[in-house]
Amino acid sequence: MALLDVQGLTRHFGGVGAVFELSFSVNEGEILGLIGPNGAGKTTVFNLITGFVRPSKGTIRLDGQSVVGLRPHAVARRGIARTFQIVKPFPGLSVRENVTLAAFLRHPARKDAEAAATVQLTRVGLAGRVDELASQLTLMDQKRLEMAKALATRPRLLLLDEPMGGLNATEVDDASDLVRQIRASGVTVVLVEHVMKAIMRISDRVVVMNQGEKIAEGRPERVVEEPAVLAAYFGKRVA
Amino acid sequence: MTRRLLPALLGVAVLVAIPLSIRNSFFLHVCILILMWTVLGAAWNVLGGFAGQVSFGHAALFAVGAYTTIILYLKGGLAPWWGIPLGGLAAALVSVPIGLLCFRLRGPYFALATLAVAEIVKLVALNWESVTAGSVGYLITTLPPVRLFGLEVNWERKPPFFAAAAVLAVVALLTTGWLRNSRLGAYLVAIRENEDAAEAVGIDTVRAKVVTLALSAFLAGMGGGFYAFYFRYVDPDAVAGIGLSMEMVFIAVVGGLGTVGGPLIGAVFLTAVAELVRDRFQMGHLIFYGLFMMLVIRFMPEGIWGRVRRLTPGARTGG
Repeated sequence: MALLDVQGLTRHFGGVGAVFELSFSVNEGEILGLIGPNGAGKTTVFNLITGFVRPSKGTIRLDGQSVVGLRPHAVARRGIARTFQIVKPFPGLSVRENVTLAAFLRHPARKDAEAAATVQLTRVGLAGRVDELASQLTLMDQKRLEMAKALATRPRLLLLDEPMGGLNATEVDDASDLVRQIRASGVTVVLVEHVMKAIMRISDRVVVMNQGEKIAEGRPERVVEEPAVLAAYFGKRVA
Repeated sequence: MTRRLLPALLGVAVLVAIPLSIRNSFFLHVCILILMWTVLGAAWNVLGGFAGQVSFGHAALFAVGAYTTIILYLKGGLAPWWGIPLGGLAAALVSVPIGLLCFRLRGPYFALATLAVAEIVKLVALNWESVTAGSVGYLITTLPPVRLFGLEVNWERKPPFFAAAAVLAVVALLTTGWLRNSRLGAYLVAIRENEDAAEAVGIDTVRAKVVTLALSAFLAGMGGGFYAFYFRYVDPDAVAGIGLSMEMVFIAVVGGLGTVGGPLIGAVFLTAVAELVRDRFQMGHLIFYGLFMMLVIRFMPEGIWGRVRRLTPGARTGG
């Protein structure tokens, strides 16, 4: 059975449709790429799954259980963690404190939470910066911090919203390796990304969205050749 | 441990020494006011300083405490020292529905909603005459006789009130200290820093805020109860006015938001300012509060106590 199953997901804001009749599923242990041109509705899909935005229609099931209508903290407790495209650290707190707050979800005692935070910080390569303020980190490190926070909630499913946006080529390679390591540790990953090189390298499967609808799905090297996808990205003439 | 224990012992020693050594009843009165304002500043600070939820309506909670205490005494014969904690409890209970409603709003909208709640409470107090006696208010003429260590407590003198205020201030500061080191306190700081991010890592932000408001209300309600006990007079203007809400904000901001000692420092400064100018201006002290607050925000936005802590080496975890 799929770990995440989304059926007929629809959301409109007033008269404007953001996501329309979207259905897809994510298998356990998979890295699924969610791609599409700007404004396709990818971030809205994340907001719908994690409870920040309520669906107008449709079902979202984690391991068979509906998460529709749960508030974000409850979704996190169920085992879905996310990062934000525009990073949202706790800016005035130290890196360690940032991740400790996330670790409290599974470790009520501060000592345990701090230990768990250290593990995740080491994993993402921030072990040397634990005492710095989150607001003082570079963008790359803030993205790492986002991941460490998400991982510290011990998710089964991790939603990464453009973890590589704004990074240089070496950093993209590092981030790709990190995502693969996360999957290897048993966490299923859904990845929204514009950096195609990374998507092609690390996704097992991609779902392509355009204007709120799914237009293609399949193995990355196949999908990018589909006419609908080319049309969405480059216009009809190219396709 | 000694770093924390030493100032605490020093504080208790000062609290014991003041009523024993000072015979000037005006000075004792000022000290009592400082302690009462410490409680109120701490109450506001719990919510505004730690959780970053700015309330302009804490007078409402103060009023609930004041009315509960005075009504229980005058109509039920319950002594104020029982009435004060019950006043805190009543304020905490009232705060829960208020929180559930107002916390649907964020930032400035929340602040405006609390302002509206305070006005509603004031109007209720003015018009629900069968319970609150309306604009006439309640007056305590005599306090119940008490013998302590074989001596009759003289309610016409200040020391017994000083002792009560000191106990409340210690409770308020201990509560804040506990909160700072607790998981709830950490959650509140996360909410203050970024509410969406807090939700995303599994923090039930609404629950954390409602619980904190109740805690804040408990302290504010006890402050109100003490007010009724000490001034022996409660009417809507005295206990539910907007000025009162503002003074709580001033004290917390001037002393240092999100610090434990801040409200005490803020209360000392602002009570001193108020008493210095009260001879010449009736309500003028509020103007000076405002001026003082502007100066603090401009030159030390972390508040007086926040600045002191930053200047003390190794004080990052203290205070």
